[in-house]
Amino acid sequence: MSRADKIREAFAQSHGAHWHPTDAHSRAVWLGVGLVVGGMFLHQVEMVLFGVPLILSVLLTNKPKGTPTVSVRPVPRGAGAGVVHTVAHVDGADAEIAVIKLPGGPKVVPAHSPDLPVEIRRDAWGPGVDLRLDHLFAGPDGMHVYGPIVGTEHVRTILPPVEHHPSGPLPPRPAGLVGIHRSPRAGDSTELRDIRAFQPGDRLKRIDWRVTTRTGTVHVRERHAEADAEIVLALDTRTDVGANVADWSSPHYGATTRPDGSLDRAVRRAASMAAGYLRQGDRVALMDLSRPQLNIRSGVGRRHLMRIRTQLVVCVQTAGWASRVALRKLPQGSVVVLLSPFLDDDIAELAVQTRKHGHVVLAINTLPLPLKPDQETPWGEVAAEMIAAEHRLRLKRMARHGVAVTPEC
Amino acid sequence: MLMRLAIVLAALPVALVLHLESDSVAPLLIVAGLMVITVLMPGSAGAALLIGYAALAMAFDDGHPLRLGVLIMIPALHLIHVTSALAAVVPVKTKIEAAALKAPARRFAIVQAISFLVAAFAAFIPSGPNIGLVELLGLGSLTVVIAVVALRI
Repeated sequence: MSRADKIREAFAQSHGAHWHPTDAHSRAVWLGVGLVVGGMFLHQVEMVLFGVPLILSVLLTNKPKGTPTVSVRPVPRGAGAGVVHTVAHVDGADAEIAVIKLPGGPKVVPAHSPDLPVEIRRDAWGPGVDLRLDHLFAGPDGMHVYGPIVGTEHVRTILPPVEHHPSGPLPPRPAGLVGIHRSPRAGDSTELRDIRAFQPGDRLKRIDWRVTTRTGTVHVRERHAEADAEIVLALDTRTDVGANVADWSSPHYGATTRPDGSLDRAVRRAASMAAGYLRQGDRVALMDLSRPQLNIRSGVGRRHLMRIRTQLVVCVQTAGWASRVALRKLPQGSVVVLLSPFLDDDIAELAVQTRKHGHVVLAINTLPLPLKPDQETPWGEVAAEMIAAEHRLRLKRMARHGVAVTPEC
Repeated sequence: MLMRLAIVLAALPVALVLHLESDSVAPLLIVAGLMVITVLMPGSAGAALLIGYAALAMAFDDGHPLRLGVLIMIPALHLIHVTSALAAVVPVKTKIEAAALKAPARRFAIVQAISFLVAAFAAFIPSGPNIGLVELLGLGSLTVVIAVVALRI
């Protein structure tokens, strides 16, 4: 064994998950014995008397045995953001005191104390570490220690919160069977949708003879489809920007998204809208504009809402710039809700094209407004104003092509 | 912070006794320096140097072996040892439950009671040039103590 290996082994022996003596133990042994022996040979009673307590403190303490542990009662998976309470169970084995790093700061407790209350605070949604209880156990007089031990990380994903939007007066319906909004596409129900000119392929039995005789050209009656509306929530995860333009190029640490940034707003709105539509019985799908593999097909019910909220977290975790945006396999006649900061022309073009394909498109702007210019550069104000002007033009252009635009959310 | 404060409180009587028993200010400065090192780095050799220096300074000073200064220093030096041992395993900004210190305090009291019994015993045993038997008994006791300590570690 080389000298380096010996040093490494000695270092490993003085740390980690086993009982090992501390400097205090060496001090008590060598200084205690040294003072007593020196006092005896030098005929100095004082030295003996000063050494006796040190030797006694070694003799009265045993090297602890066993494996002390700290375990935490897991937080329920469904617990949302905010304060959550749980307890830590300390099993000290032969230890005397336990030093535990709690969220509020380290604490020294007796090694055999009852369960410790632990308060966990999480303010942001998304995946994150709830708790990691690093700990160390000390034997009598701190002469032997077990640790320090890096605690197990308790990870929990907080789903995006759902804000309940009050719905307007709605007609009665058999809850849980049909949705409140009917599909905008044509079908075979009894409800009239439109009267239009005859086209090749139309059935003759649909000809409206009264309108035909009055106008002189053949007209047919078009009826609604026997289906609920399909809502497609399309999320633009390519950018996550806040109101401060200076921060756009720097990453944000400590949370999955920028607090109150464009992506945070988009996810919160998407979750709330999904909850609102699903509560009304409509079918809701989720699409990631830049990562189609993360799309969720349309569905109904409470479990589908959980699926959407979970997938929103996944979308945000994989968020990043993509050169192309696309809405693939859109159900015919669906209502597309586009959540984006609309910072480039591609997304505006996509909204217009989707509208031209016959879908109802609702564009929700998630860019936090007004923008705060970068104060560190003389061009900051001009740049912010240009971005805002381009953004306004983009929204106007979409509105001109029939896209319903909400300027702020 | 509490344990580090306890080290200071334990070192204060040591500094005071050494200062009173000395003609110069040097012992006070040395103890103060070692105390600062011990408070800042309780796991270092500062505590051992502080205890060792104070013990040797008292031993080689003139005066009765069981004078008041020695009797004050016996618990004070032991307290420095215990508090620096605990401070070495407790981070600076740590809340300490009083119950966690109950067992060390009880053990400290027991050790001190035995130490003062030894001191009382030392007060009664004869001293002078003809103490061959006492020395022999002392050496025998010492051998036993060293053997026990060696077996324990």
